[in-house]
Amino acid sequence: MDDFLAVALIVGKMIVVIAILLALPIPLTWLERKIAGHIQQRLGPMRVGWHGLLQPVADGIKLLTKEDHIPAEADRFLFTLAPIIALVPPFAVFVAIPFGDRVSLFGAEITLYLSDMNVGLLYILAVLGIGTFGVILAGWGSNSKYAVLGSLRTCAQMISYEIPMGFSVIGVVMLAHSMNLLDIVEGQAGIWNVVYQPLGFFVFFVAGLAEAQRIPFDLPEAEGDLGAGYHTEYSGMRFSFFMISEYLIVVVLSALIVILFFGGWNGVLLPLPPTVWFLLKVGFFVWVFMWFRFTFPRYRYDQLMTIGWKVLLPLSLANILVSGVFLF
Amino acid sequence: MSYALNKMSGWIGWAFFLDLLDGLSLTLSYMFSRTVTMRYPDKEKWLPFPRHRGHHFLKTDEAGELNCVACELCAKICPCDCITVVPHEDEKGNRRPLVFDIDLARCLFCGLCEDACPADAIALGQHYEYSAYDTKALVVGRDTLMAMPGKAEGGGGVVNARLTTENGVRVVKTGVEDGSDWWRRIRRR
Repeated sequence: MDDFLAVALIVGKMIVVIAILLALPIPLTWLERKIAGHIQQRLGPMRVGWHGLLQPVADGIKLLTKEDHIPAEADRFLFTLAPIIALVPPFAVFVAIPFGDRVSLFGAEITLYLSDMNVGLLYILAVLGIGTFGVILAGWGSNSKYAVLGSLRTCAQMISYEIPMGFSVIGVVMLAHSMNLLDIVEGQAGIWNVVYQPLGFFVFFVAGLAEAQRIPFDLPEAEGDLGAGYHTEYSGMRFSFFMISEYLIVVVLSALIVILFFGGWNGVLLPLPPTVWFLLKVGFFVWVFMWFRFTFPRYRYDQLMTIGWKVLLPLSLANILVSGVFLF
Repeated sequence: MSYALNKMSGWIGWAFFLDLLDGLSLTLSYMFSRTVTMRYPDKEKWLPFPRHRGHHFLKTDEAGELNCVACELCAKICPCDCITVVPHEDEKGNRRPLVFDIDLARCLFCGLCEDACPADAIALGQHYEYSAYDTKALVVGRDTLMAMPGKAEGGGGVVNARLTTENGVRVVKTGVEDGSDWWRRIRRR
């Protein structure tokens, strides 16, 4: 009976997380367009519902009713598989991300995470890397020259920025003596890790921007302006899978930044519940990602690769060295 | 020594993206400042300047008599041939236009008819919302032209307004005609 209850609890939490994640791009697209508008001294969507709140619904209906076209010479299996492979990693990552420690509901103690893994951080970084396959398969499966070139560049970008991303969190692991995300957050009950690891935060943030393909590193996406990108041949719901996965990776990265560097659910001054603190901080970083999007132009491909290999990688290695010396 | 220090600070600035912070502060200040959007037609409406060349209007004197003596100079100077004037003798024996049609679909609102008129009879005014579903409805006659509003008095600003459907779809002013606020709002830095 106990086992059955435990399994039912996990399934219940899973359903809640998946439902929230599927519904999350809706307010995020609205927020992005409103922030874009106000940065550009205009209002953003105002007509579809009060202050444009129903605009994402209109966008969703538009995407659903578009023609689902697969190019004639395309590899059908890979073409249909690629958006799915792009969409699954953000969901899989949320298995390991904790939203709080534990909370008492209906008399029972419920933990606010799906799985307490001892190597939670390693699992997250590994699963995020699977998203690259979606990009490769999308470009190759489209059977279009520019799509293949775009996907090769994207793939190179994502791989080269995964290395500094992995190295920059080693400082955090050294501080917490553990890869368990709960231990990392509990270790920040006093001082947040960003105070001890400012360089690590900087490298992780920039590498995260590149992994999520957000401006200033969104050359693969913007290649629609310049040439073509890996998702040229996609339309309607398949295209929206790529967009949803982009927003979800932004949320995943914001959650990771908050857990690893900004104290997770530890609060300052105001006595709010821990989960509320966590959500406020994640919301703040999502806002910062969007703020960056409408501020910068995008980096050229060679500048992008230069930053990944010649700036971020040496900085992250230096960070490990210096942290090691200080902790010795 | 200072050359080396300058170069070093240049490289450090490059490695840490310091020039990007300037852009970030700029967009942050723009994000929390007032927008310049004019919410036409639901909330606001633009009031044109007196020099604005909008819909034509025929002027009358105090007694209500048309100034126009149907000399057809405006029709002759019009580069688009959109004015049709037919003169006739009215009850008092004066020369007046029987027919005075302007085809708004052809008109380019250059104001040459206003410049050519020797009797100060026709001018271009402030009305700018005269869309129609049919090009035939865009040919306006003498009586419509006499009823059109004249040149704007002050203006050059945005005033509160709302859309209404009485007497056809129109945007009516709901606020005081004071346009100075709008200019102060959009001039920053």
